[in-house]
Amino acid sequence: MSYLLIENVNKTYNSTSVLHELNLEVMEGEMVTLLGPSGCGKSTLLRCISGLTDMDKGSVHLEGRNITPLAPKDRNVGMVFQSYALFPNMNVYDNIAFGLSMKKKSSQQIKSRVEEMLQLIDLTEKAKSYPHELSGGQQQRVSLARSLAVEPKLMLMDEPLSALDAKIRKHLRTELRQIQKRVGMTMLFVTHDQEEALTISDKICLMNQGRIVQTGSPDEVYSKPKDEFAARFIGSYNVLSGEELSMLLAEPAYSKSAGKYALRPEAIHVKQNSLGLQPTSTSSGSDAAAHICLGLVEEAVMLGNIIRYRIEANGVRLLADVLNGDQAMKFHEGDAVQIQFDRQACLPLAPSGT
Amino acid sequence: MLKKRMDIKLILALIPFCILIIGFELLPAVSVVMESFTGNEGGFSLEQYVSAFTKMFYLQSIKNSLMISAVSSCIGIIAGLFIAYAITKVSEQTRTRVLMISNMTSNFAGIPLAFAYIILLGSNGIFTILFEQWGLPIFSGFNLYSWSGLILVYVYFQIPLAALLLYPTFYGIREEWREASALLGASTYHFWRRIALPILLPAAAGTFTILFANAMGAYATAYALLGGNYNLLVIRIGSLVAGDVFTRPQLGSALAMVLGLTMVLSLWINERLMRRVRRDLG
Repeated sequence: MSYLLIENVNKTYNSTSVLHELNLEVMEGEMVTLLGPSGCGKSTLLRCISGLTDMDKGSVHLEGRNITPLAPKDRNVGMVFQSYALFPNMNVYDNIAFGLSMKKKSSQQIKSRVEEMLQLIDLTEKAKSYPHELSGGQQQRVSLARSLAVEPKLMLMDEPLSALDAKIRKHLRTELRQIQKRVGMTMLFVTHDQEEALTISDKICLMNQGRIVQTGSPDEVYSKPKDEFAARFIGSYNVLSGEELSMLLAEPAYSKSAGKYALRPEAIHVKQNSLGLQPTSTSSGSDAAAHICLGLVEEAVMLGNIIRYRIEANGVRLLADVLNGDQAMKFHEGDAVQIQFDRQACLPLAPSGT
Repeated sequence: MLKKRMDIKLILALIPFCILIIGFELLPAVSVVMESFTGNEGGFSLEQYVSAFTKMFYLQSIKNSLMISAVSSCIGIIAGLFIAYAITKVSEQTRTRVLMISNMTSNFAGIPLAFAYIILLGSNGIFTILFEQWGLPIFSGFNLYSWSGLILVYVYFQIPLAALLLYPTFYGIREEWREASALLGASTYHFWRRIALPILLPAAAGTFTILFANAMGAYATAYALLGGNYNLLVIRIGSLVAGDVFTRPQLGSALAMVLGLTMVLSLWINERLMRRVRRDLG
């Protein structure tokens, strides 16, 4: 049975539909990420779940109870904001204790729980510091502790790492995941960062224009994008029309296809033209499924651990990612190269919006 | 070389400003300080301060000024808090209009304001007569030329000034704090008591000191309305420096020093409090 069940949620702002008949199920203890571009409705969905925004239609059930008519304070839902939202007039201790004092816990209970939370976020020595005395990462950890302290049934995180610099963001997301696993908290995490979603989640819900377009494990969502939007958003997929695929493979059969195909950039192997291929020649090599053809490097971009090549092959432009390590595999603009990929790596895509 | 030439140009550009500051601020201030420590027969003396703090007449003027400033500032700050909050909740168009009116009214002080009140609420004021003729003599018992009349006139420019100074602080109260507190179980009352008001308090106290200094220093309004009939510090200073009967500029300077010090103290407190506001809302 679902721990969190969202059914047919609709939300409209000024006659613009922000959430459209949205359904979502989350299991207990799961870390689910709502991933999508800005304005796709992911933060609105979070706010509807918390009760901070009223929805036009639909219902939210938590632990089998319909919490739709309840006020935010009665939903037992915690939320971590992008801008931390720490109370500036209170120190770290008082910020974490705030929710507990609202729940009328005894001072001894408050003290012990706050200390436990401070240990969890490793900020015991900062208990007396005010928010302005903390770094962004520390403030976000306090914000998390403040929400965790009252033991909510569900934790909502609205782009909590977006305001932090890249290094702290990477460190904090690992820490966040560890804390989530340790306390067994059910979390709904909002981000527009694909890498963040892939790293942190048990399950990813890819959102576009107020709808969840694909749900699955990080591996499923990345390796089997459902439609063109998913393929373009989740990675740097090569999205090819039937005609382009037909030109690339030199197989006329695809030219009549109205659909599109996705080809992962790392599925394309770039090698020196050892077979002496000519511009129009193609080969299957020893493997019948493999497709080999000649390409011309148009651009090479170093992205740290990988080199991304833009290659023109049979009149089609492709992106190919190669691990940055082997000196013999480094090519430059204008180099003729041999590209090879498995035909089965070309995934047919459903039309967007279906 | 180029840098040196630039420095000389900058210094030249500063000369008019320096002349203004020295001629119209520093020299008069130094003169007031020196005068205040000069005895009636000349020479250094604390005689003027002894007079200022021992003679009932001058003590009463200090007390009256402090009272009228405190009361008008209290009314101003309370009304200003509500108006400032309302300003943040209305549409942009209404906000712009309210701010424009507040700006105008906060600067509408001195002789024009006193005459405006005399015309409207004086013994023969439009409203006084009009309401009397309508059989509603609500202003007939009200004396504009009294302590309460002066309070009413002061409040007229204190309220809009308070609203103008406070409304940016209300914008600093972030909606996310309210949302975070609600999710942690706080009611609206708890939000205001535990979060919003403690954040607003330094700004409100800072604004109060500005209003207080503003009222302490308001001379033209009080003089135009009451002449020398009400014993206020600023009116006493005026009559001692440029009175019709006799002048005692040394004693006037000592009283001006008392007035100046209360205003400096108010502004210093304001600066200390606003530093905290900037830290919390920055």
